[in-house]
Amino acid sequence: MKCLLIASESAEVLFHWSDREYRQNIQEKYGVSQEEGEGLPAFEDILSTLFAPIIISCSTLEDSYTSFTTENNHIYVLHQFDECLYIAVNGDGEEKEDDLRRKLYVLKKMVEVMFGMVTLSGNLLRKELRPQDTEQRARLWNYLQSLLETYSLLRENDQSFLVEAVERLIHPQLCELCIEFLERRLVQQLNSSVERAGEEVLHAFVLVHTKLLAFYSSRNASILSPSDLLALIVMAQNMYPSNVDLDDMSPEVSNEKAGRGETPVFEFVDPEIQMAEDSLHTLEINPPDPASPRRVFLEVSHKDGLYPMMPHSMYCLSLWPGITLVLLTKISSSALAISVYKYLEDFDKLEKRLHEGHGAPASARSPLNMQDIRSKMDKFIKSLEPHDLQYAQLQNVWAEFKSRAFSRAGSGFNKDLIPWCKNMKTQLCGIYRQCFLTGSLSADVTHRLSAGLQERAQAMVREKLVDWKDFLLVKSKRNITMVSYPFLFLNDFPGLVHFICVDRATGQMIAPSLNITERTTSELGKGPVANYIKNKVWALVRTTRRYLQKGYSTVTLRDGDFYFCYFLWFENETGYKLQSVDIPVLADDSPPIGMLAYDYYKLLRYYSKNHKGENVKCYELLTVHLGVIPTEIILQHCRQLASKLWEPSRNPLL
Amino acid sequence: GKLMAELKSPDTRRCRYFFLYDGSKVRGEGDPTRDGICYFYPEETPMDKQDLLCGQLAGVGRCVSELSSSAVRILRLRHCKFAIRMKDDFFWALGCSMDVPTVSVCELLDHLIDLFCFYNGSVRQSYQLNSKETLAAEWARYLSHVLSGPSELHYILQSVRTLDLTNVDPLLLLKAALILQACQRCPLVLAGCVLFRGRVVSTQMPPQLTIKVMVHESETYAKTQRSSGTSTPTSDGGPVSSTAVFLTPSELQYLQSAPVDKISRCSHSAPEKDAPPKKTRLSRTLSDIPSSESTPSRPASCQSLQRASFSPHTSSSEDSVFSPAPSQGSSADSPNPSPLSPIRRFSYGGNAHQAEGGTPDSLHSGGGGVSQMPSERDGSVFEESLHLNRGAASEMTDCGNAAFRDEKTAAGEGGVCCRKPRGHKAEMRQPPSGSCSFDSLEESPLVSMALYVHRVNSLVLALLVEPCFMGDSASMEEVNHSSLASLNGLEAHLRAISPAAPGAAGPYLFAHYDSVQSTLTTNVSGRPGGASEYLFVRATSLLHSHFFDTETLQEAIIRSAGTAVYGARSVAQETYFQQHGGSMRNSGIPNQQDSAFSLPSKARHRLLKHGVNLL
Repeated sequence: MKCLLIASESAEVLFHWSDREYRQNIQEKYGVSQEEGEGLPAFEDILSTLFAPIIISCSTLEDSYTSFTTENNHIYVLHQFDECLYIAVNGDGEEKEDDLRRKLYVLKKMVEVMFGMVTLSGNLLRKELRPQDTEQRARLWNYLQSLLETYSLLRENDQSFLVEAVERLIHPQLCELCIEFLERRLVQQLNSSVERAGEEVLHAFVLVHTKLLAFYSSRNASILSPSDLLALIVMAQNMYPSNVDLDDMSPEVSNEKAGRGETPVFEFVDPEIQMAEDSLHTLEINPPDPASPRRVFLEVSHKDGLYPMMPHSMYCLSLWPGITLVLLTKISSSALAISVYKYLEDFDKLEKRLHEGHGAPASARSPLNMQDIRSKMDKFIKSLEPHDLQYAQLQNVWAEFKSRAFSRAGSGFNKDLIPWCKNMKTQLCGIYRQCFLTGSLSADVTHRLSAGLQERAQAMVREKLVDWKDFLLVKSKRNITMVSYPFLFLNDFPGLVHFICVDRATGQMIAPSLNITERTTSELGKGPVANYIKNKVWALVRTTRRYLQKGYSTVTLRDGDFYFCYFLWFENETGYKLQSVDIPVLADDSPPIGMLAYDYYKLLRYYSKNHKGENVKCYELLTVHLGVIPTEIILQHCRQLASKLWEPSRNPLL
Repeated sequence: GKLMAELKSPDTRRCRYFFLYDGSKVRGEGDPTRDGICYFYPEETPMDKQDLLCGQLAGVGRCVSELSSSAVRILRLRHCKFAIRMKDDFFWALGCSMDVPTVSVCELLDHLIDLFCFYNGSVRQSYQLNSKETLAAEWARYLSHVLSGPSELHYILQSVRTLDLTNVDPLLLLKAALILQACQRCPLVLAGCVLFRGRVVSTQMPPQLTIKVMVHESETYAKTQRSSGTSTPTSDGGPVSSTAVFLTPSELQYLQSAPVDKISRCSHSAPEKDAPPKKTRLSRTLSDIPSSESTPSRPASCQSLQRASFSPHTSSSEDSVFSPAPSQGSSADSPNPSPLSPIRRFSYGGNAHQAEGGTPDSLHSGGGGVSQMPSERDGSVFEESLHLNRGAASEMTDCGNAAFRDEKTAAGEGGVCCRKPRGHKAEMRQPPSGSCSFDSLEESPLVSMALYVHRVNSLVLALLVEPCFMGDSASMEEVNHSSLASLNGLEAHLRAISPAAPGAAGPYLFAHYDSVQSTLTTNVSGRPGGASEYLFVRATSLLHSHFFDTETLQEAIIRSAGTAVYGARSVAQETYFQQHGGSMRNSGIPNQQDSAFSLPSKARHRLLKHGVNLL
């Protein structure tokens, strides 16, 4: 019983996803109020009708709704992002309020990765999310729906998506070898080939399921943020799903689940059911050209600042099932995106100033030098290709803006100019959309790595890894297990059941594998026991985030037969432990704590800036111990783990 | 005076809104929203804003309820969270600040509605029989009572206020218990409690019921304080009054299931029934007490020597308990608050209008209280009610008829059980786990009873009695006779106990909640401005929610840069502890030397002297 939708202020559904149960429930609800004999309208129209009172009420109240809970524990979470209202519903108890809020933010992140700065204009985004053409709409919604499902599956089963940090395969030699290969052979060859058509490979990485085997960034690339990397892993998983757990799920386990009245976890991802259920899905959808890249918008840090949502092309090449090579390229026209972003910022600042009644930006020294912007903007418009509609519109609006703002006949810089600021922003977003989104990617064969070049890259990496293939696939499931390091875990840490250690500066995590399926029995025992521990760990992460949100960075809990610990601390680059700081107390509806949709830990590092200029690192440690172990021993274990795991020289795993 | 008013006024920081909206009044297109607003707090809110909030929240509530086929329970805005109760066409909303745990907001709202039903009976019928304005005064009265807790902790942990037990001779507590037992020998008395200055000395009722009874008591206390100025001992046995109250079937069942020996009940031998479990550390057995009726021979000087080093909430809380409600309607000014709607439910939930036919008579008038037969009702309704409603049935019979009474009490327990298979509507509808419990409202027929109050200065004996008790002079006489002397003696002793000195706050803060008896022991003063108190209450609020959500959680330590709070929970209690000073500065890295991790042992040690045993 799950549902998620994006609605415009007029209750038009801009996107929706729901599972079969929820669809049935809604159709029944709607059917009851309808006359017999009439066919049901499109599902999005039913949703729009039924949710309209909520959506409209949202824009009526000054203090907006954030959630509802009913007596039968249905949860509704609402969040307004600019002009779009996102609503998530759960009626089966599998998700809590914070899970739903996280899902909304993740969807928002995915929309940003897919549409970039177009999201800054409500009007354009609405058109983009709900294309007029029904086939196009079906294709887009289908894609977004499957992204959401992939994400949900990962969040429910993968520890790295639980804590939102990337997990590396622990095999230092192989990793190094692989990175070297990506650098010296692959990226160099690709970037020196003429078939790259103006694109430049910036990042290349190899994923084994969701775990990172090797990651290489070219010298002139900026750092790929953990948030973007996690989003790209979701996209890669969506393209080549691992289905790890589906393979491993023995019949007994699934039956047992069903017997307990739970929905089998994988039911809702079954593509056939999905298609049959929704009329939209039955539309024949042309499979996209496999060689065409996907346009993604990622954050880029330049010397002069951070630029969000810069266009890149993402090539996802499957090496073998479960192993994927991902290439991220900078596209030839990406400089334009930087200009657009700068102008958007300028007009945004101007609009704010005008709102506050500050009139004309005073001197040439003011950060907002309108004369300067004027001349730059003129040049910018001249540099654009002058033969399309979007260009003409921008030129007209700019001319109008200038005559109002700068000429003597015009009204100058006052509140009357605000609509024209808005209009300029919309036009700039339109240009951006024109350049990076609508120039249909699959049709534009000239501006991408050629199919041949992609095949060659694939073949090179395959050849390099072919001997490791099987090892990697097994390793990714049993990356670290306690039994494989008996000296570390069983001797030095008696009573330690599980731990997760996260380096928030790099967005990476280390944790023993939790294999909950029947076939791969871990030291935690067979399915149900491991599953129990898994649920405890998932609940622990939720709990500690709740406390962290309220400013508590240390939590210990005695719960049933277990003792849980959570610690968050800061170090400087040399490993010196910094004194703890007051962590901000956040509102209940603040962005979820994590790194995928929103990097919470960036904020924390900012708060620890008593140490100016220093690169502050932030770590987290979660442990699960048997409750019978004395607390002093447990704390001692935590201390040892905290100091060992992140020092390469002392980490016995590396 | 002024200080009292300040303390009594509901804290606007925590409680933002409370309203009751009657959707049945706003059916047509043109019906203005304000027709549906039965009560809105704060009352000075501009009408437009009242309309907006009621209209939008009730509308969205209905929409969500239809989508989920279930009533909305919690509705959150960005800066305010609402507990919601939807019943028939009524829509209640209590909006509190985000700091108050959601579970507590739900409990507060349920408690408010419970209070209303306890004193007025069914909500729908109350509104049929009384004006909006009259009932608005009632809501205001309950709201101000619910929100008058001495500290923020009382929002989080709803509790019965008891005497500071460390300050009272256990013998006195025992004496109070014996008075209650003596009263219970009268078959028309269900259960009772003894209160002193608005605090419980002894009770036979479940905590939720005791709290309800105390609302009436604290108001009459406030009134006597106002009228007489100082407490003048009255020689004529003190004012006796009564008011109509309504019990839920589960409350009635609880009271009837108490192990009262029916045979020995009427004899005047030594009581054989134990008082309900009390937290007193009784070192003496019952045989040590010469006689329950005699004035205690021990002088006041023998009060317990082990006096608490400080007694935190005496100063502020007592004032707030007894100070008058800020917005009182005219009804409360009469010497004996007239029962607003002494309505018995003669039918199950749906047929509320059956009672319309005859306006029920006022059961009690003046101190003497006369029970009248509701004679004009037509027989068929009565027939039914006879089976269903024990309270109503007892009114029909001659109260003096002891034989009938015996027969009836013998059948009493069975009678409640029989009710279940008869009609499913009468069953308690248990809300799903996780949501707050709520067991009154029209779902089940409320049973009419009376609350008999006997005051001796600051001491009050409150008894829940069958409605006919007030007309039964023999029973009245018996109860009065058996309790009067003891009450006077008890009052004299309790009055002699000087309130413990407020004392400086210790090097730690704690709160100990007994979830069986709903009592809270704490040294949090509630005085504004205490930064560490604020942090402690905030942590307690989070931990309490966590304990509520996670059944298996037993202990927790949470630490921020400046404070560490330890929480422990067992089946019967929740304890929170925070140590001052000792500079909590640390790196946050796990370290067994860290003072945060010694909190459990410190708590165990420190709290022993408050009678809290964490072992």
